[in-house]
This record gives sequence, C-alpha cells and structure tokens, in this order.
Amino acid sequence: MNRSGALRMSDLMKTYPIRKIHEHGPGVKSFYFDKDFEIRAGEFVNVWSPGVDEKPYSVSAVIDDMIEVSVKAYGPFSKDLMIKKIGDRLGLRGSFGHGFTLHDNALLIGGGIGIAPLRILAQELTAKGYRFVNLLGAAVAYEIIFASDFEKAGKTYFTTDDGSKGKKGLVTDDLTEIIENEKIEYIYAAGPEIMFVKVKEIINPLNIPYEFCMERYMKCGIGICGQCCMDGSGIRLCVEGPVLKKEDIAQITELGMKHRDASGRRV
Amino acid sequence: MKRVIEFGAGAVTSKSFNKDWRTGHKNPSIVPFEHGMLNAVGLSNPGLDEMIKEIQLYKEECDTPIIASIFGRSIEEFGEVTRRTCEAEPDMIEVNISCPNVHSEFGQPFGDSCPDTAKIVQIVKEHAGNIPVAIKLGPHGPGIGVIAKVCEENGADAITAINTVGPGMLIDIDVQRPVLSNLTGGISGPAILPVAVKSVYEVYKNVKIPIIGTGGVTKPSDAIQMILAGSTAIGVGTAVYYEGIEVFRKLNEGIEKYLLEKGYKSIEQIRGAAHE
Repeated sequence: MNRSGALRMSDLMKTYPIRKIHEHGPGVKSFYFDKDFEIRAGEFVNVWSPGVDEKPYSVSAVIDDMIEVSVKAYGPFSKDLMIKKIGDRLGLRGSFGHGFTLHDNALLIGGGIGIAPLRILAQELTAKGYRFVNLLGAAVAYEIIFASDFEKAGKTYFTTDDGSKGKKGLVTDDLTEIIENEKIEYIYAAGPEIMFVKVKEIINPLNIPYEFCMERYMKCGIGICGQCCMDGSGIRLCVEGPVLKKEDIAQITELGMKHRDASGRRV
Repeated sequence: MKRVIEFGAGAVTSKSFNKDWRTGHKNPSIVPFEHGMLNAVGLSNPGLDEMIKEIQLYKEECDTPIIASIFGRSIEEFGEVTRRTCEAEPDMIEVNISCPNVHSEFGQPFGDSCPDTAKIVQIVKEHAGNIPVAIKLGPHGPGIGVIAKVCEENGADAITAINTVGPGMLIDIDVQRPVLSNLTGGISGPAILPVAVKSVYEVYKNVKIPIIGTGGVTKPSDAIQMILAGSTAIGVGTAVYYEGIEVFRKLNEGIEKYLLEKGYKSIEQIRGAAHE
C-alpha cells in the first residue's frame, strides 16, 4: 500500500448500512456492506459502532460487490455488534495494512474465528488457479465458519476440541504429516497467537516459507501512534502487517507473550 | 523509534507520559480529514515505571538523542515525574502543559495560565538536574509569546511549539454523531501549519532559547518555513501518515537542497531570517 503524499478518501470516517447478516451459530455472525474501496486478502478495516468503540477486523470475503466482516461475540464491542440489524449503520475505514502474498501448493491453517482472513485468501488463490489445502480448527463445530465453502475450494482437514467436527484435538496435532503428504510449499496461518507459537515451532525446521496474520490492540490504524509496534522489530502491525512473513516473525520477541494494551503497557 | 532513526530522524520524542498508566479515550481516537487529522488519544501511556524502562531500553540500543515527553495532573506530579524520569537519563525532558483533550479531568491546560506555567517550569527545573528542559506550548491561552517568555524567565532551556490546535469536532452526517469517542480532539496536520509557523515566529520574537517547531510539517517547504520563523529543530508526527516513515529522509534532503540552491553554507544562516 503506497499512500505517499496522497490522502485516501477511504481513510476518512464513513458509515455504511448493514445490507445482510448471516448467523453461523451462537455469537458468531457475518455482516455485509457495500464495497466502496478495494481490499485484498489479509488487509483489515476499522469498524466503528457509533457511541460504542472502533476496532480492527479482517475482511473475510468480497462477494457480489459486498464486503463481508465476520465477528465473534467476545468483549463489549463485539457483543454490541451482535444486536445490530439490517439497515443499521456502522463506520468502515480502510483498507489498512499489508495482506497475504499468493503462492501455489499452500496450506491454510486457521484457528477459531481467526479463520476469517483465510476465506478471502482462499478466494484469491482460487482466482489465481493455485492449489491449496485447508486445516481448520476450533473449540466446537459451529465456530468453524464457512466450513462448506472451504471444503468446496480445496481439500480440508478439520479439528475440534470436542470432536464435534473432524478429528478431536488441535490443528497442530497432525501438521507435520499433512505438510508431507500434501506436498506443501507455502503456509498461511490465522488464529490465536498460541497457535502461531506451536505452528512456528513445527514448521521452522521444515524450511517452508510462511505468513501469519497477526492481531494487536490498535488505535490509529495508519502507522502514527505506535500502539501496535512489535517488540524486537519495531514493525507497526497496522502498516507493515497484519500479515507478516517468516523473516519478520523471526525478529519479533513478543510472539505468544505479553504485548501492549490500550495504555501501551505490556500485559 | 529505532525505525524513524533509520529514516533520518535526528532525535526522537516519546509520547507524553505521567505517573500512572492511562488507557486514554476509546476509539475512534485518531481520524484523518481532508486537510489534517483530529485526535483525542487522551494521553494514553504505560505510566512512569514502564516508560523509564522503555527509555533505558532505547538508550541501550540507540545513540540518537531521546526526548522524554512528560505531563502531570498537578504541579507536584510534574516535579515527581521529572525526578523519576531523570533515572532513565533522557537527553532532554519535554514538558507537555498544553494538551487540549483532557479538559474535564485536568481542567484547562496549565499552559493557558502564566502563574501555573511559571510554577511548573520551576519545579521541573528543580528536579531535572543537568538534563535540559523544553516546555511544549499550545497556540491558545494568553499568547504564546508571553507564555514562552515566562518559561524562559523561569529557567526553561527550550520551547516546543506547538501542540495540537483546537479542540475541534467532526460529525458523521449519516449517523449524525461526533466521530471521535471523546467528541472533540486536537487538530494536527497540514491544516495547522500556518498557526504553527505564526506561533514559532511569536516565540522567536520573545525569547532567546531554542525552539522545537512542530505542527503540520509534511513537506520540506513547510520545514523551511518553520526554520525561517525561528525553529532550531523540527518535530514531525502526523506527516508519517501522509508521507510514510521516509518523511524524515525527504525533509532532510529537501532542506539541504534549498540551502545548496540558495547558496547557504549552514542552516544557521536562515534561522529566523523571516524576522529581518
């Protein structure tokens, strides 16, 4: 993303009516808005609920000229989003950050609602004609959103903590075998940070390049406030991320450890 | 901070911090508009203890000077934060007495009052030892030239001019609500450059101590205006949004080019030149 010298109109606050809502299961919904700006897989938007708060979200798909944002009820902000109705207006600014680069023979590893950015990645890989395999895990079956879409797009392995879908266990359990059997040459991961730590540990010795889609508390989204700087590298996650490559991740000393909260403290 | 140095920054200023950590205001806290940016971050900071560690860590890794920006909720807190900040041995302490976003909790900015400003400068100087002290002023209050004079008389070593302007407000016309969670916020970016240039000009007219000119500097010609008005150093924040982190290199190159083209041997020859 090159913004040198020019102000992008889509950085300015603008609200859009919710066009459609899809409920995946208890507390997991996708919201659809008219697509007003370009967005690539891994980039994010800031979603503003007037009077409540504004938070960064990955876009999970671009479908029929609509942007899809998938949300799991977690804190006060996402719980507020759950009660929004079609026609209610939310602010959308973006797209922000650097997304995924596209590669053939890839493995997409997703955990929980973190699967969201992999869905738009799968769309882009499919459009390129690239082959990819999905490995998706969550606590329970309904938290694996868009499971059937992933299955249609490529070979898909599932894991759940309770065994309600796919194999009982974690995505990392059979990771090595899947990489070997499927002849994987590139890895993408999105999900909780603890998953990244484990995935990194397993794939580092295999010499396969990879990209992780990371999360941090963000304030400005435009690279000036320093809130989302990653220790060890100074990477501003909102500009140089949220998708980071293996080389960048190697510099980060805080992966899976404490990082900055809203005050900037490491917690 | 390490990264802005790679791109040519001559010094770095921390975000302002005080004794206890603050979460600041909810988002949206920073919103661009067509001519600048509106922010009400609310002085979020990890607090004194954490910041001392951060500055120490920085100093272990970098040689470029660091300016610790501090504030307090009371005159006494300014003294205490200064005393403790000295443990980290920053190259300069900048005292923010002019944040426009914290009215309800802090009352009017201290920098709007000559007696308060005098007391803060005295207490900070008392605790700062050999570390030079810059006072960060806003364009409001009884007149920036007057306040700058008060700072100089009470021992300040430099003036930083200016803080954000305002506060201002932006309203979303569809939901008909103010955009910032704090409703209002300080204005920065290109929109405030003329206010900043005028403020530096006023300060230069009134004091002999050096001026760190900040406010709306995005292009080399903006920086040159600030130098002509009397700035010794230039501060850049919002411009990172417009120009990327390369802005520091672009400004340095642009200033050098100007000096070369006009046949000047050093920046000193144009500092304050607009006053003659």
